[in-house]
Amino acid sequence: MKEDGFSPLLHANIERMKLMLGYSSDFIVRELILPGNKKTAIFYLDGMVDKKELQDSVISALLDRTPEEPVTLQELKDHVLDAGEVCVTRTLEAALEQLFSGSLFIMMDGVVDGLSIALPGWNDRAITESKTQSVVRGPQDSFTETLRTNTTLVRRRIKDTRIRIVSLKVGKMTKTDVAVMYMDTLADEKQVRRLIGRLQACKQDRVLEGEYLEEFLHEKKQLTIFPTMYNTDRPDTIAAGIMEGKIAIFVDGTPFVMLTPALFVDFIQSAEDYYQRPFYSNLIRLLRYVALAICLLAPSVYIALTTFHQDMLPTQLLLSLATQREGVPLPAFIEAMLMEGTFEILREAGIRMPRTIGQAVSIVGTIVIGQAAVEASIVSAAMVIIVSITAISSFVIPAYAMSIPIRIIRFAFMVLSASFGVYGLTIGIIVLVVHLCHLRSAGIPYLSPSAPFHASQQNDAIFRMPYWKSTKGQTKQGRSS
Amino acid sequence: MSGCKRIGLAFTAFILMASLLTGCWNRRELNAISVVLAMGIDWVDEQYQLTVQVSDPSQMSINRSGERSPAIIFSERAPTIFEALRKITTKASRRMYLSHMRIVIINEKIAERGLRNPLDFLFRDHEVRPDFFMAVAKGCDAKDILAFVTPMEVLPAIDLYKSLKVSESSWAPTSAVNVVDMMQKVTKDGIEPVLTGITLIGNRNKGMKIDNVKQPKAYAEYKYTGIGVLLDDRIVGWLGESDSKGYSYVSNNVRSTVGHVRCPNGRDNFVVEIYKSHAEIIPSIKDGKPHVKVKMKSDANIGEYHCSADLGDEKVFSQMQQVAREEQRTTLEHSIRHVQRKYGADIYGFGEAFHRKYPRQWNKWKKQWPEIFKNDLQVEVVITTELHKTGKILNTIHKQP
Repeated sequence: MKEDGFSPLLHANIERMKLMLGYSSDFIVRELILPGNKKTAIFYLDGMVDKKELQDSVISALLDRTPEEPVTLQELKDHVLDAGEVCVTRTLEAALEQLFSGSLFIMMDGVVDGLSIALPGWNDRAITESKTQSVVRGPQDSFTETLRTNTTLVRRRIKDTRIRIVSLKVGKMTKTDVAVMYMDTLADEKQVRRLIGRLQACKQDRVLEGEYLEEFLHEKKQLTIFPTMYNTDRPDTIAAGIMEGKIAIFVDGTPFVMLTPALFVDFIQSAEDYYQRPFYSNLIRLLRYVALAICLLAPSVYIALTTFHQDMLPTQLLLSLATQREGVPLPAFIEAMLMEGTFEILREAGIRMPRTIGQAVSIVGTIVIGQAAVEASIVSAAMVIIVSITAISSFVIPAYAMSIPIRIIRFAFMVLSASFGVYGLTIGIIVLVVHLCHLRSAGIPYLSPSAPFHASQQNDAIFRMPYWKSTKGQTKQGRSS
Repeated sequence: MSGCKRIGLAFTAFILMASLLTGCWNRRELNAISVVLAMGIDWVDEQYQLTVQVSDPSQMSINRSGERSPAIIFSERAPTIFEALRKITTKASRRMYLSHMRIVIINEKIAERGLRNPLDFLFRDHEVRPDFFMAVAKGCDAKDILAFVTPMEVLPAIDLYKSLKVSESSWAPTSAVNVVDMMQKVTKDGIEPVLTGITLIGNRNKGMKIDNVKQPKAYAEYKYTGIGVLLDDRIVGWLGESDSKGYSYVSNNVRSTVGHVRCPNGRDNFVVEIYKSHAEIIPSIKDGKPHVKVKMKSDANIGEYHCSADLGDEKVFSQMQQVAREEQRTTLEHSIRHVQRKYGADIYGFGEAFHRKYPRQWNKWKKQWPEIFKNDLQVEVVITTELHKTGKILNTIHKQP
C-alpha cells in the first residue's frame, strides 16, 4: 500500500494518474492556479460528474474563496468547498475508485493527500412503471439501474430505525456496488452474516446483474432448476419482504432486486393480491394454481390420454378427438413437441426482437403456425387448443423466474407420458414433489408452510386471510422449521 | 459421493423400477384404432356371428362430405366370439378398440341358448369396460339393428344408447340393463335377470340405406319393447307393457313415468305422472310358507284429466287418489302373478329378500326356490300413492267457468 501514496510534486502525480489510465480520452485533468500561486489540479472522468456543479461549487469556490496564505486540505474542505460529500483520500487506489464512482479529485502542489468530492452526474433512467409485474391497483413505480435510487425507494416505504443497509463492492473488474438491506431483529442474524460473508468471498470478475451473485449464494450441493431467490423490480414487494424478515440484495446497474429466502408460494403471489379484497385475491390465487397445473400438465395429459388411455375419455370426446386426428400424419407426441417447440421459438422471438416488428411476428405466429398447420393437417385442432391454453397459462404465473422451470419440466413430462402414459406422468409428478420437498432456500424448506405444515403461518400461504384476521402482524419469520 | 453420481444412480433405479412395474397398457395413436361403439352377437349356422359398429372418424367432423356413412359395420362368423373379433381384422384396416362399447345386442337364439358363453369374453377381456347396456333383438338379427340408419344421432350406436337411457328414466316399461347388473343377477341366488327387447319396425331393407333419414318419416325405426324374463341365463318369455311397468316399480327402476287410470265413473281416463317411487319388499313366513309384502310409496301429479267430477272438491281428489292406488295395485299384482305362474323366474328378487332376513330357512328353500316361487309364495301389495298437484289448470277445459 505504501507505493500507492502520492508524491508531493503535483506534476508527478498528474503523470502517474494519466499513465495509470492509459491516457484515456475521457480522463480530464484541469489545472488551476489558486490565489497565492498555489498550483492545483482537478481530476475527473468526463460524463461521470455533474459539470454545472463542478463549475459552481468547486472551481468558482476555489478561485474566489481560497485565501492567499497557505492552506491545508482540511481548511479547503471546511471553509472553501460548497459540495456535500468531501473526504480526504490518501492513496492512488482509493482516488481511482472514487473517480470511477463519479467523484472528482483535487490535488495541490506540495500536499501528499487529495480531496475526493462526490458529484455524480451521469444520466439516470427515470423511475417508470414496472414492466415485468404490473398491477391494476397499487404503486406503479419500479426500480432503476441506480443503486441509491433503489435503496431509497424501499427506505421511503419503511420509516423504521431497524432498517440496516450494508454496502460492499463485488467483482474484481466491475467493482459493483452491492447493498444488503434487512430489518434488524426481524431478519435471521445468522443468515445475514452468512450472506455477507459469501458476497465478500465472491471471486467473480464481473457482476453486471444479480444473477452473477445469485449462483454463488445458492445452498451448497443443491442442484435444481427452481429459483431459490426471488427477484423483482417492484419496490413494494421488496419492502413487504423486508418487513417479513427477508433479506434484500441490491446490485448497482440492474433494476432487479433479489430477496432471500424465497419459497414456492412467493412465486405464485403477486403484489396485487395485497391490494385487492381477500375474496378476490384468493380466487385469483386459486386460478393461478390451476394455471400452473395446466401449464405443467396439459400437453402431457393430452398425450397420455389419447395414446394410452383412450378408455378414460368420454365416448363423445374420444370420437371428436379421433375425428380431429384423422389425416394427421404425426404421432401425438411429435405433434405436441412440434407445436410446443414452435411456441417457445415464437416467445423467444417476441422477447428478443426489436419492438417495431412485433406485430409481424404475432401475425406469423397466429395465422401461419396455428391456422395453416391445422388446415394442412400437420397438427390437429385439439393440439393447437392445448398448446395455446398451456402458453397462456404460463403467462399467468406472476414471477417469470418460476415460469421457466415449469416450462422446462413440461417437456420432460411430455416425454414421460409419451413413453409410459399416465403411469409415467405419475412417477414424474412424484419425483418432482420429492425434489421440491428436498429443496431449501436459505435454510428454509421450499414448500413451507405447506410441507412441513405450519398452521400458524397459513394466513398468507396459499390463501391470504383478511388483514384484521392476521394477529401476528405481517411476519412470516417463523417459517423456518 | 458426487451429486452427478447420485443423480445417475437414482435415475437408473427409476428406469429399472419403471420397467418392472408396467401393467396392461399399450401405446396406440388415435388414428390407428377403430372405436367400437356397438356389438351385435347372433347365432347363425351353429356359430357366432359377431357384428361391430365402428365410427368413421372422417365422417364425424363438421365439414363432412355426407357421401360416406358415419358408421361402418364389420361382421364375421366363428365358433367363438374372440376368434370372430380377431377375424374382423382381415376386413378392417385398424384394430378394434372395445373400451367405448355402449351397447351389446344379442339375438333371441343366443338368449335362448344362454348368455354365459358370450358374456365370458366380454368380462374377461381387459379392454372391455363392463358399463355397456344389453338388449335382445326381437324378430330380427342383431346385425340388422346395427346396420340400419338411425334418424336422430349420426352414429346409430349412440342413438340406441341414448334412447334406452332416456326411455328408462321417463317411461317405466323399458329397463336399461347394465352388464354388471346382469352378471350379478345371473350369479346370485334368489334373483333372476331381465333384458330389454329391441325390434325393428317398418321397411327393413330401405332402413339399411342412407335414404332412411332423407325424409321426416323414416322407412324403418327401432323400438325398445318390453322386458324379457330370464331363468338363469336363458330367456323364457316376454312381459307386456303393463307387466313390464309392474316389474320396474317393484325393482325400483322407475325414475318417472306416466300411466292412465280409469275415472271412477268408468267412462273416461285420467293420467298420473309419477315422479318419485319407492318399493320395499318385506318378507315373512306365515304357516311355514313364504309371504311377501310389497310396499310401494310413490308421489304423483295429475298429468291429464278427462273425468267429469270437479277436481277442486277435496273428496273427488282423494277419490282419484284411491282409484290411482287401485290401478297401481292391479298392475303390480298382475305383473307378479303373471311372472310367478307363467315363468317361475324370480326377477323381483323376493328370494334374495328371504335370503337376507331368514338365512337358515333360505338354505332349505334354495334348491327348490323356483318351485316355491311359482306355487307357494303369497304376495301382498300395499300401495300408498299420493297425488299432489293438478298442473296449471284444474278441471278439463270445457268445465272451466
